[in-house]
Amino acid sequence: MGLQSWGSSIKDMNLLERRKTIKLSADVAMASVRGGKTCWSRALIANASKQENGKTLVRNILGSEFEKLTKPSMGAFMSHKRVRSKNILRRSCSSHRIRKIAPKRVQASSIAKRMVKKRTQILRGLVPGGESMDDFSLLEETLDYILSLKAQVDVMRCLADASELLNGK
Amino acid sequence: MERITSPGSRSGSCRDDKQFDGEIEGLMTEDDLQEAAVVPVTESTFTALLGLPANQAIELLHETESVKSPEIPTADIWKDSQEDQRTFSYPFNCSLTFPTNAALVERAARFSVFASAQDSPERCSIPSISSENSPKLKAEPANSESNRSSSPILSSSPTIPKQNQKSAKRKEREKVKGSVKKSKYVENGNKDGEKLPYVHVRARRGQATDSHSLAERARREKINARMKLLQELVPGCSKISGTALVLDEIINHVQSLQRQVELLSMRLAAVNPRIEFSFDSLLAAESGCLSTGSFPSTLTIEPMMWSELQFNGERRQQHQNQHQQLWEVDLLQPPVWERENYNNYHPSENSVFSYNSSAESVSMHSNQLKMEL
Repeated sequence: MGLQSWGSSIKDMNLLERRKTIKLSADVAMASVRGGKTCWSRALIANASKQENGKTLVRNILGSEFEKLTKPSMGAFMSHKRVRSKNILRRSCSSHRIRKIAPKRVQASSIAKRMVKKRTQILRGLVPGGESMDDFSLLEETLDYILSLKAQVDVMRCLADASELLNGK
Repeated sequence: MERITSPGSRSGSCRDDKQFDGEIEGLMTEDDLQEAAVVPVTESTFTALLGLPANQAIELLHETESVKSPEIPTADIWKDSQEDQRTFSYPFNCSLTFPTNAALVERAARFSVFASAQDSPERCSIPSISSENSPKLKAEPANSESNRSSSPILSSSPTIPKQNQKSAKRKEREKVKGSVKKSKYVENGNKDGEKLPYVHVRARRGQATDSHSLAERARREKINARMKLLQELVPGCSKISGTALVLDEIINHVQSLQRQVELLSMRLAAVNPRIEFSFDSLLAAESGCLSTGSFPSTLTIEPMMWSELQFNGERRQQHQNQHQQLWEVDLLQPPVWERENYNNYHPSENSVFSYNSSAESVSMHSNQLKMEL
């Protein structure tokens, strides 16, 4: 459905825009499958609807669920606050740590913890809406996200192959 | 009261201590596992953590649940002369934040008893404990006060007679908690002010942070369970041990998937957008291949895809591949909730119902598209 809705409007766009639109619609479609159940889908849709050109697309795809899904703006707002406070806390903590080079023995466990922390940071950046989640929900969201990404890739691949075969003589 | 009897019994031997430690370990693991089970983790995780075969664990569970009377069959399990000595002169005034799961406590006790009864040095690994315990599970002769302790707790009713038993449990648990932290062995015997000159119980500090450690342990168990799931999901992760590396793999996987999406979108964009989606043949095509699902799904990309596939014969392969892929991935999902998630995809693959749910919109759109094209 997403493809159709953008299909109807891609005539004039150049390649880049088309790609963006396709990706956007695919993302939104993927997120819409999840309904409002997962955090990342909500975040994805929120991000998409923020952009100008994305808004109508999102509306088309989501249909009636549009209001429902974009409703948790309150939650998003709070999450923003949380994110900001978390960032501030993180920054202050890290600077603090740099100054105090007291501990002589660097425990292996602390190194491991730091590594894990760094990686969770990266993961938070990857998964949409990941900044405002604690570790545990982050893992859940990642799981979900990976699943849907896989499905999305499969679908798009089949579609691309099919259309190429069909058209790309 | 045990308090009275403890000094005499506590003329311990190191063996007692060791047993106790083992018991603590057992208890600890049990606790943690149970906590994990209390949280909506499925039994599979629990048994996996236990290292027990599933059936045995279920037996255990049933046993614990079925036991309501003081006449516990597990009394048999509790065994031992050595147990008598280990009267838990335990503090009665510790506040507990234990989950009210009686089965938990009972099983913890049982396992701990096993561990102790084994008369082996401390065990720190869960599987070893469980594996050794499980054979003895039914074999143990009848009981001691531990039995008594387990029974009332099992009944989990206010009729739990004595504080002593409860406190026995509590003490065990405290010790367990302490041992969880693997903190130093403090010979304080009882942290709650029980006056015993020589305490051969290795009490570890942990009482003050009981609730904390409990919550922490529960949280850690949850996270570990999720990490396991992720490991199974991401290919090539099962061999890696260590959280950081696994996370690395996961990150790589996510990044690669996202890149693939971008590439594919570019491919799709490059394709001449004169694609005919004909959904009239969709139903006819789908009913042949897919079983019907009854889940509503809003993902309607699949119907389009399937229609394409039906168009050209050679696409049938892809269709089947797709189907297979999803089935394979489905097989990888042991946990229930995972399957739940996946069921959403399943139905999406069964485009019959998706078609049903979106038939009108789809046809509308297709008409639109045809017009514009």
